[in-house]
Amino acid sequence: MSQQTTSAEPVPTPPLPPRRGAKAASAPRPTAAGGRNSLARLGPLPWIGPSIVLILLVVVWPVAEMVITSTHRINGLGIDFGFNGVGRYTKLFDDPRLGSVMLWTVLWTVLVVGFTMVISLALAQLYNQNFPGRRVTRWALIIPWAASVIVTSIGFRWMLDEVAGMLNRLMLDLGLIPSAQNWTGDAAHAKPWLVFVAVFVSLPFTTYTLLAGLQSVPAEVYEAARVDGASTWQTYFRITLPLLRPSFLVALVINLINVFNSFPVIWGMTQGGPNTDTSTSTVFMYILGQTDVGESAAMSVVNFAVVIVMVLLFLRVSRWNEES
Amino acid sequence: MNRRLLNASVLAAGAALALTACGSDSSGGGSASGDGVTTIKLVAADYGSNGQNPSQAYWDGVIGAFEQANPKIKVDVQVINWNDISTKLSTMVQNKQYPDVVEGPGYASFAQSGLLYTADQVLDPAVQANLIPSLAKAGDQGGAAYGIPFVSSSRAFLINNALWQKAKLPMNGNQAVAPKTWADVESDAKALKAAGVEVPLGLPLGSEEAQAESFMWEMNNGGGYVDASGKWAINSPANIATFKQLGTWVNEGLTEKDPGSVKRTDLYADFASGKVGMLNGMPIQLQDVQKSNLDVTWAPLPTAQTGQTPQTLGVGDWIYGFKAGGHASQVKAFLDFAFQKQWQVKFDEEYDLLPVTQDAVTQVSKDVPALVPFLKALPAARFVPVSNPAWDTVNAQVKVQIGGALKDPQGVLTTLQTAATQAGQ
Repeated sequence: MSQQTTSAEPVPTPPLPPRRGAKAASAPRPTAAGGRNSLARLGPLPWIGPSIVLILLVVVWPVAEMVITSTHRINGLGIDFGFNGVGRYTKLFDDPRLGSVMLWTVLWTVLVVGFTMVISLALAQLYNQNFPGRRVTRWALIIPWAASVIVTSIGFRWMLDEVAGMLNRLMLDLGLIPSAQNWTGDAAHAKPWLVFVAVFVSLPFTTYTLLAGLQSVPAEVYEAARVDGASTWQTYFRITLPLLRPSFLVALVINLINVFNSFPVIWGMTQGGPNTDTSTSTVFMYILGQTDVGESAAMSVVNFAVVIVMVLLFLRVSRWNEES
Repeated sequence: MNRRLLNASVLAAGAALALTACGSDSSGGGSASGDGVTTIKLVAADYGSNGQNPSQAYWDGVIGAFEQANPKIKVDVQVINWNDISTKLSTMVQNKQYPDVVEGPGYASFAQSGLLYTADQVLDPAVQANLIPSLAKAGDQGGAAYGIPFVSSSRAFLINNALWQKAKLPMNGNQAVAPKTWADVESDAKALKAAGVEVPLGLPLGSEEAQAESFMWEMNNGGGYVDASGKWAINSPANIATFKQLGTWVNEGLTEKDPGSVKRTDLYADFASGKVGMLNGMPIQLQDVQKSNLDVTWAPLPTAQTGQTPQTLGVGDWIYGFKAGGHASQVKAFLDFAFQKQWQVKFDEEYDLLPVTQDAVTQVSKDVPALVPFLKALPAARFVPVSNPAWDTVNAQVKVQIGGALKDPQGVLTTLQTAATQAGQ
């Protein structure tokens, strides 16, 4: 660990404004003997200061606001009725919808991330091969990523529409269904499609991360394996996967957080409805905000805690990765 | 490799923080500057569709003329999409950055919290007397008027004549013989379905406007959101019976599938493309109908039993002044100006909405004959309980949940009733 901290790359810093620059120039130069140590310690501050300010401003402050808001009773129109202690949390945890929302959130995260990782591993392997048209297909894979998620979601919603949707037309013409279905109309129909679309938009990023990992595996390792007579599957499980672990972990965690917090796919396709049947906790938070801003903030705090737990788990896992 | 991991974890932690934190933007209220010119801030809803005829243009016109007549007052207008205006407005209120005038969503909670001027403070008595009484009355809370109606609309039953003929349903000349009772609706819908109409009866109970769509069926069965004494009656026997009936139609395939997820605007688009037999329509559809060359029939809403008087829904959008800026006289000058006949008429004819002042009603009836049935229905139209401060909360909950009452009338309506009685707790 200590090795890392000393060799850590300098934090990228925007160019210093001139007024600060003057102060910065004098700071690292020790003038008085007594102040030498403390001044020297302040040396990096001008460089990392702006980043700290930025983090305080755009990360810490909103979090503080969020926590404060969750202790107030604020109605859907923003009128603040004052401090309410844990009242909003009590209301949230008493809400009969919360249980099913959280259950679906877990299921949603596990399913979307699971499918994404497995399919991406296969896709990355494919794109790592040399085949005619590879460049074109690699470009094609970027499309779901390049398109705005909300646009993709709305596109899918219309494809699945009962009256105007092409899926119904196709399936009716093929005789697969007796009458048009509203594919996003109830939870049972909508959930698989939501997962499908979320996987679809998560694939490009994950595949490219894994592909980058695959390309960093030295060719000599494979050569050695071949010389030792390892089978294809042995090579994959004993060499490729372990060497892929760092990029796999990065992709996994970023996907976990992304999918857990995912809003546009669900909002674009079902708005969390009907009722709150397809709402994850993030969408539920938004729906709560229409009637009770404080309760919505309480939901955000719960969400935030879950993400923190996920990050801590990741740090655990990455340390385990280091030791092995 | 380790460094990459460390960087990644830092990135992940940062992303976690940034992704869960909520963003908000806001804008401040009006102010007075040194040269004696006072600026007031107007927040208005956008009635334009698909980027066409934006309300910004309308307000720019009004304000240009107003500022010319009143050089000491400037008006800053911010026009916000209907889908976002409530959220934006609540953010402004939460951050205590009150606008001076708001045109758009309901006023009741603001009024109850003492944030608003009464109509007497910001509107000339002559203009107040010019307002349609039923609309003006809906702006009352506890005996004082806070909400001033700015624009209104009423609803009527809408039938696609071509599909009606295709199903061999009776016509009277070039007009369809509209169903008078729910039994008629059912038999007509069955005939439409037999003739292959995709959606015989449109029932958009998705979150967009479910509170109004369900109210229209409830009121024609003697129900509604509140009883005669103004107490919440969402799970009244009449309402439960209404949703049982609607649910039966859904199960029989007489409506679109899963009405609880269907938005009103989407269903209107389906109607315009000739795939919906009948639905509760509104004047905003006049343009669509004309553009797609549809032959339609407008009729009173059908009632549950024979012999009942058909009722219809009135919708008012409100304009009101916030006290925080202390600009009562400037707001008054502006509102008195904006309620002049020419501006009312211009707005209503632009969007096929109905005026709220009597002189403008006369003018619009002359200019746009198609709006006459809606104008006639307006004085007797019923409103959702807009003056109840709990309504804003109940409204949001009804929009999300009432679609579920098609499957479980008793359960869902009781949940909403409980929520309504506890709203604001």
